[in-house]
Amino acid sequence: MSNETLNEISAQLQRGRAKIVKELVTNALEAGLSAEEILNDGLMAGMNEVGEKFKEGTVYVPEVLVAARAMNAGVEILKPHLAAEGVKATGRVCIGTVQGDLHDIGKNLVKMMLEGKGLEVIDLGTDVSPDTFVNTAVEQDCQIICCSALLTTTMGVMEEVVKKAEAAGIRDKVRIMVGGAPVDEAFCRKIGADKYTPDAASAADAAVAFCKELKGA
Amino acid sequence: MREGKVVLTVNGVPGEYPAGTLLSAVLPDFGLFSLPCGGRGRCGKCRVTASGELSPLTDAETRILTPDELARGIRLACQTKALGPADVTFDGGREEKARILTEGILPSFDLDPVFGENGIGAAVDIGTTTLAVRLYDRKGKLLREGTRLNPQASFGADVVSRMQAALAGHAVELKRAVLGAVDSMLASLSPVPPAAAVITGNSAMLHLLTGTDVTPLTRAPFRAARLFGEFLTAEELGLSVPAPGAPVLLPPAIASFVGADTATAMLACGFADEKNGETALLADIGTNGEIVLRRNGRLYACSTAAGPAFEGAGISMGMGGEAGAVDRVFPGRDGKLAAHVIGDAAPTGICGSGLVDAVACLLENGDLDETGFLEDEPAVILPPVELTQNDIRAVQLAKGAIHAGIRTLLRISGTPVGEVKTFYVAGGFGSYLDVKSACRIGLLPAELRPAVRVVGNAALSGCAMLLLGRGLLAPCLAMARRTGHVELASSPVFTEEYMERMLF
Ligand code: B12
Repeated sequence: MSNETLNEISAQLQRGRAKIVKELVTNALEAGLSAEEILNDGLMAGMNEVGEKFKEGTVYVPEVLVAARAMNAGVEILKPHLAAEGVKATGRVCIGTVQGDLHDIGKNLVKMMLEGKGLEVIDLGTDVSPDTFVNTAVEQDCQIICCSALLTTTMGVMEEVVKKAEAAGIRDKVRIMVGGAPVDEAFCRKIGADKYTPDAASAADAAVAFCKELKGA
Repeated sequence: MREGKVVLTVNGVPGEYPAGTLLSAVLPDFGLFSLPCGGRGRCGKCRVTASGELSPLTDAETRILTPDELARGIRLACQTKALGPADVTFDGGREEKARILTEGILPSFDLDPVFGENGIGAAVDIGTTTLAVRLYDRKGKLLREGTRLNPQASFGADVVSRMQAALAGHAVELKRAVLGAVDSMLASLSPVPPAAAVITGNSAMLHLLTGTDVTPLTRAPFRAARLFGEFLTAEELGLSVPAPGAPVLLPPAIASFVGADTATAMLACGFADEKNGETALLADIGTNGEIVLRRNGRLYACSTAAGPAFEGAGISMGMGGEAGAVDRVFPGRDGKLAAHVIGDAAPTGICGSGLVDAVACLLENGDLDETGFLEDEPAVILPPVELTQNDIRAVQLAKGAIHAGIRTLLRISGTPVGEVKTFYVAGGFGSYLDVKSACRIGLLPAELRPAVRVVGNAALSGCAMLLLGRGLLAPCLAMARRTGHVELASSPVFTEEYMERMLF
């Protein structure tokens, strides 16, 4: 029965049925499944599927958004239980759209995918200054800074973030990821950031890999 | 075809022209002639009555003209050549006030040009892609008109790239490039130096034209340094073809990305008339979509960024509306699609209007579902032209942004869609677009289809109104001032609508 329930949670999440996901998660807890199991094999498994389909192009932004909403609805219910079980996020990331830019749809998608991989995400919103990125990373012990930019005129702010991180002496502990439509691999290398990915699902994969790497070190 | 010259009689006036002359090349000499589609046989705006030795009907003509029109001898001037003696009549000599302005329904106004006796005035629209000029005499008669590409394009296609080039030290070159292009158009079109000009354009274009610092326009909070609405002299601006002291009016902008071009388009669509209480929408659709709503005497405006998908950029086989571009797609036989290609050429790509049609057909066929998932990728439109899944995604981003912008204004103002009496659709792309297809794919709200009025380059029409009607400046300034700007980037309503309108 447990596998079936978890599969059902995953399936309903992929269809964006927040209400049903909430019910299913509540039932699963009552049936004695652990919060960690529900999170990993139900919610995150579903979000992972969505991410893969998004990468392939078979689903698009609106579907990811409703799926993420369903995921959040489920996570809200699990939160106290996860804390009680002592389940910890696999890493902590701060994310934002850089200063001068208010485009946030891509940034939000990356955030959802990161959460879908079990990472804790601090969302700094839009129009975020390099100092805010770096200070947050230092103060909140983030392993990763994610910067998003959609304007060719604001991409340059990402370089400032890299420089500020260097000046703060956190470059060995914190990875900097960059993305957004005008950004590419070459730009990432030029400014000395650590990783560029073209889509949100790949961004989440890369973030998970970084967190593993940093833990190993 | 006959060799040498043939006699062509236009509105009763005979003249000699080389055999094979295109009628549209001759007609500007007889007063107004507007070719909104650039003479590509697509807009049907150059209908004339013609008889005599003429070239055979083209595909474009059989497509656009009704059987009744064909029977009456109506032809498209841009498609028809005089091969021998021929007779042409058209609705020329348009000296009445309201009809001076070529397209759409324009409010009438009191003729009182901003230039003096025997002078010629110029209305200029500096588009990011295209520059357009119309010349008028004091009676409000359209003398000549012309378009050319904006030479600033070599610095980047969109406004942000242009402004970035300015910030990178090319501001003077950008200014010179556009001034030079305007001067050369005026010189080639106008028999005498224009005595006055009105120059409209989006905020980025007017900033670059006047050499104003663009920094505030390139990053949030996007506060334009200058909203114009002012007279300069040709000399001050740096134009050398008009007389040095000739007044040049730069119409007022509404906000950073709702520029003077939107204000003049509003003027042309009657939005400056405070007594007009009709609920109306105006959308100027291009890379940027500017949208305006009038309701209960209040005006709301926003700017939404669609991106260049409808100009062919970012679409695997996308291209501009040039020869070889699929510009119309319709259901053909056996579930296949049929298409029209510009310029009787082999198909090499697809332009914006074709893209909108193609997506509408794929939806109708069931090859594409409402989430934008393409059953069989790629979808063949007209071999070798096809659309990929990524192309569909790019269309979703673009059409969703325009539609969501419209919905946001309606919702924020509390306007029920059904209340909109007139929906003015302006801009080049708006003129080529098949409104039915646009509604089918959700580029425009389907409920508004009956209210649609395609008005062509309304920005330039409004510009001409300011040139010919001195009394319009004050209402235009007041209109710009009282238009409320709705910032979409920070609007949760927009984000919500955008997600919904990305679907089909
Ligand atoms: C939607 C949109 C808007 C909306 C924004 C709503 C919002 N809340 O975000 C509105 C209408 C408000 C808007 C406004 C403007 N926009 Co705009 N906008 C767009 C549009 C159509 C789509 C952007 C989008 O959301 N894409 C969907 C998301 C999911 O894609 P994405 O952001 O690229 O993210 C993906 C990846 O890049 C990656 N990713 C993103 N971030 C990150 C971060 C990391 C770390 C990683 C690894 C990966 C990653 O993952 C995401 C998912 O896979 C684009 C054109 C286009 N077709 O792309 C123009 C566009 C970006 N806008 C543009 C402009 C100019 C503007 C304006 C300045 C002018 C205007 N038109 O009003 C304003 C200013 C906005 C502001 N104040 O900052 C230009 C930029 C041109 C340039 N050279 O820079 C574009 C390209 C359109 C164009 N060609 O003119 N815009």
